[in-house]
Amino acid sequence: MNHPIRRAESDTPRPESATPEAAAQTGQLVFNPPIDIFETEQGLVLLADLPGVTTETLELQVQDNKLTLIGRVSSPAPEGATLVHQEYAIGHFLRSFILSDEVDHERISAKLNHGVLEVVLPRASRPEPRRIQVTSD
Amino acid sequence: MAVFRWGQAFDAFRDLEREMDRLLAGVSLSFHGVRLGRQYPPVNLYELEDGLLLTAEIPGTRPDDLELTVADGSLTLKGVRSGPENIPDERFRRQERPRGPWQRKIALPERVQEDGLKAEFSNGVLKIFLPRAAAATPRQIPVSEGNTADVVPRLIEGETERRTEGGETV
Repeated sequence: MNHPIRRAESDTPRPESATPEAAAQTGQLVFNPPIDIFETEQGLVLLADLPGVTTETLELQVQDNKLTLIGRVSSPAPEGATLVHQEYAIGHFLRSFILSDEVDHERISAKLNHGVLEVVLPRASRPEPRRIQVTSD
Repeated sequence: MAVFRWGQAFDAFRDLEREMDRLLAGVSLSFHGVRLGRQYPPVNLYELEDGLLLTAEIPGTRPDDLELTVADGSLTLKGVRSGPENIPDERFRRQERPRGPWQRKIALPERVQEDGLKAEFSNGVLKIFLPRAAAATPRQIPVSEGNTADVVPRLIEGETERRTEGGETV
């Protein structure tokens, strides 16, 4: 565990598969959005392609050590429009990740730009080593 | 000659394609919107009362990098999907998002008022409204007697006018 490479692997958020129950509930398709994760000086940055998702329809949850992103998408066409040619399907987005202890859960921030979600996962600052006073009677 | 009426030619394939999409949706969840052998970006087309609506998902394309041009009956979409800048490859733990320049040329159907095109781009979704042109009035073609040889259209077997299923004639 002390080997730097091993540690780098262990704190990679692990994607979990989208729950089929969520898809069944809405009766709509649910996609696993493509993501990028990279390291910076301050921590990790996660990018996810979520076209059609707005700040109102995006939900980001951190529960225990699990980060879940849920993006709801509605049809881009007005009511009464007939789909005459289809090359892509429209559905919601769902993906979750396991966060390591290295991430400061309290300081996670997110931005949504042109259909791309950017989540900044800052590294938790290591507590200072505490000196324990040893006394003798 | 082109005999197919645009907008109805896809009907036969639509149900099949939807069924295929439903089946494939369960398989290729991790590559939303990107399917092998297909042009980027994939587009959907809707028929509205007063025209057509073309939609495409192009997340990560900045409005400044998006270029739409109409010329000679075709619409060209051009853009760049930008990735994070100045991040060396070894810093990536996961890299699934497509990036780089893309371009797609789409033949516009007849009866679209080319100078009336309107585009909207928000949240990574591009919407292009193609207004329907006023119906053309029938034009009489004068026929004169001549001695030009008849031109017989050459038909290759298996390659009839039903070549629309490729989806490129949008």
